[in-house]
Amino acid sequence: MVLKVWLALFALLALTTTMAFVQLGSANLAIALAIAVAKAVLVLWFFMELKGSAGLTRAFAAAGFFWLLILIALTWADYSQRRDVRVPVTISSPRSP
Amino acid sequence: MSDRAASTEPGFQFADAAQAREVSTLGMWAFLATEVLFFGALIAAYFNYRIWYGDELIAAAGHTKIVLGTINTAVLLTSSACMAMAVWSQESKARRAACLWLAATAALGLLFVAIKSYEYLLEYREHLVPALDFDGARYGGATELFFTWYFCATGLHALHLLIGIGFVLFAAIAIARDRLPDGLSIRILGLYWHFVDIVWIFLFPLIYLAGRNG
Amino acid sequence: MSGPPPRNYFNATVGIRSWLLTTDHKRIALLYFASITFFFLVGGFAATLIRFELVTPGPTFASPDTYNRLFTMHGVIMVWFFLIPSIPTTMGNFMIPLMIGAKDLAFPRLNLASWYLFIAGGALTITSLLLGGIDTGWTFYEPYSTFYATGYVILAISGIFLSGFSSILTGLNFIVTVHKLRAPGMTWYRLPVFVWSTYTTSVILVLATPVLAMTLAMLLVERVFHVGIFSPALGGDPLLFQHMFWFYSHPAVYIMILPSMGLISEIIPVFSRNRLFGYHFVVWASIAIGVIGFLVWGHHMFVAGQALFASLAFSFLSYLVAVPSAIKVFNWIATLHNGWIRFSAPMLYAFGFIGLFTIGGLTGLFLAALAVDVHVTDTYFVVAHFHFIMVGGAVMGYFGGLHYWWPKISGRMYPEYWARFTAILAFFGFALTFTPQFIVGYLGMPRRYQSYPPEFQVWNVLSSAGASILAVAYALPVFYLGWSLLKGVRASPNPWNATGLEWDVPSPPPPENFERTPDVIRAPYQYEGGRALPQAKHV
Repeated sequence: MVLKVWLALFALLALTTTMAFVQLGSANLAIALAIAVAKAVLVLWFFMELKGSAGLTRAFAAAGFFWLLILIALTWADYSQRRDVRVPVTISSPRSP
Repeated sequence: MSDRAASTEPGFQFADAAQAREVSTLGMWAFLATEVLFFGALIAAYFNYRIWYGDELIAAAGHTKIVLGTINTAVLLTSSACMAMAVWSQESKARRAACLWLAATAALGLLFVAIKSYEYLLEYREHLVPALDFDGARYGGATELFFTWYFCATGLHALHLLIGIGFVLFAAIAIARDRLPDGLSIRILGLYWHFVDIVWIFLFPLIYLAGRNG
Repeated sequence: MSGPPPRNYFNATVGIRSWLLTTDHKRIALLYFASITFFFLVGGFAATLIRFELVTPGPTFASPDTYNRLFTMHGVIMVWFFLIPSIPTTMGNFMIPLMIGAKDLAFPRLNLASWYLFIAGGALTITSLLLGGIDTGWTFYEPYSTFYATGYVILAISGIFLSGFSSILTGLNFIVTVHKLRAPGMTWYRLPVFVWSTYTTSVILVLATPVLAMTLAMLLVERVFHVGIFSPALGGDPLLFQHMFWFYSHPAVYIMILPSMGLISEIIPVFSRNRLFGYHFVVWASIAIGVIGFLVWGHHMFVAGQALFASLAFSFLSYLVAVPSAIKVFNWIATLHNGWIRFSAPMLYAFGFIGLFTIGGLTGLFLAALAVDVHVTDTYFVVAHFHFIMVGGAVMGYFGGLHYWWPKISGRMYPEYWARFTAILAFFGFALTFTPQFIVGYLGMPRRYQSYPPEFQVWNVLSSAGASILAVAYALPVFYLGWSLLKGVRASPNPWNATGLEWDVPSPPPPENFERTPDVIRAPYQYEGGRALPQAKHV
């Protein structure tokens, strides 16, 4: 079982690295993240034994990821809608006065 | 523990060993949830800057070493497989196998750190290290910001990995001497190790896979 | 009663090592109690100096720079070293195992480690203050705190970082304990509301604090290595710091208020001899506050440059979060109906809480309205709003709970008339301190300013006068509670005739809490005709 999961992880790694060189614009990030999620789910389900765990354990495992989504989603609500004009970066590593 | 009656030796608050095991497992998962949010905050910062900077940040990622990064990912995934084998061996009371699988896990972890260090060296030579001698003239736009984030994220990850390697080596030696302390469960150590792997699974595409086309 | 007291957690073993190396949750609670009382006095001292400075429009005794350091010290100490730990680490630590019928928390040694982390963090932060302090405000906004602030920012932030770990571990301990160590028969819906509230608080602690840890770590990296992460001149976005900071700091205010609300839910049934009205509503309202509380942080950034779309979303969600709080207030009041009300000190504090928290909560709605917020943000209106909740709410609840459980913790009764007088004095002192601040804030006086236009002076003088009354009301318990330890009447196991497992054990409890694991047969707060029906089966 461990061997099968390991092979699947390697296959996904090969896929994600290859896809990086295919120009798909904004879909690149989506695909890379989807593959990352797939790898993570394999590790969580089989290696971390969520497959045989109680519902409570799975809830604990999911909670962190779900809450992180809140942070990402609501900050996206700000950043996706801002049209700031940025100061050009002209200096590097200032010393404090 | 000495301030209570004899009936209150370690673990006295548990009804039985099974409950103690469930409690330890839940405790580790709760801790991992905090780590998800700890690393996650860093990743959220990355996403926001990616929206804000767009192509500049994506281009900045093109300066990372994708070959080394991919090899390192393979190393870490394999180390997780070894850890899973170690847990299975421990459960089957195959002491020698468990010890060897743990040693393999630690060795792969150390290999990851070695490769990462070499990457850092290359980046130093290319003047990509902020606060040291970052070449602002050569690398424009958001490169310095990206590499600040890169060193923070990979540095923190490496720190977590080193702590894990320490525990795994300790466990390997303890099992070899058949003196694994009661409080140290290989399964729970494995949860931590796999988590560090998952962090890298998400860092990998964000660091290495952007800015590779065109 | 005479003769030596029976064996309890306090006298079972002696010597400083048995205290500093204890894993008994009750002793750890006392260690925390001493620590947070110390920090409350430090933060309160800073407040005294602030109010003294604000008596005159110009400088009274402090320069603007000193004033900045004073309000920063007040905020940092009060938020992280008093309010956030206060109720969970003292009453939570002491009472949760008792209330669920357990012998200790799930991880007793981790509990002790939490306390040491807290002390270490406090030592670092206090040191930074002794060395001259910081002037960034407790919010550490960028890029001022990294590139321009003088003072010991790194030291102070390291201290906060450590105390954050302490609170994460405490929260983790409580969560696992409540899930796994409940006595037989203690189902989730038989848990007292204080346990539910502290459980919800613990979930917030575990999920929010790591984001603060990362935010502070990034701030430290920026300050130590002079790189840009949030600094505009180096390509960073200062608003990102604010997003990450407030993602934690808004749920943090629910960490501060939820345990206090739990205390009110404990006190009101006992002193009105009625079942808690709408127990399930109160429970689910606590959970709703905890969850929705994570969705509103942007209301601290309405004028900071946040996109209007995001501000609209956060404004709407902020209106939503007020609903469960209101539900709880209605249920507490409904509990009083047809009750047999005793105006004991805990009940007086609870009444003070309900009145003052309601006002604070309603003014939160004013602030959640975008147009109003543009006018009153960063004025004393905001200062008054959160002090009504934190001091009028959380601290009142803290004192109420302290008096309520004082017999159980110390084995002594406090002097009732002194306590009632203090509770009433605190209420009036508080009202005089902070009501003028609503007015002067609406009139336009900014916060964090050492000097102000002379037309605001009368309100500031009233506020400072109130503060001196409040200070007396906070000092009095030190004396009469201290007195009670030596001369107070010895308490019976259940002096209030309350339900709940904690009242089934002697006052003070023995080290192992229960001789036999309790067998729980009832829901909490079962009062019938004024008689208390205990939760556990009495053999």
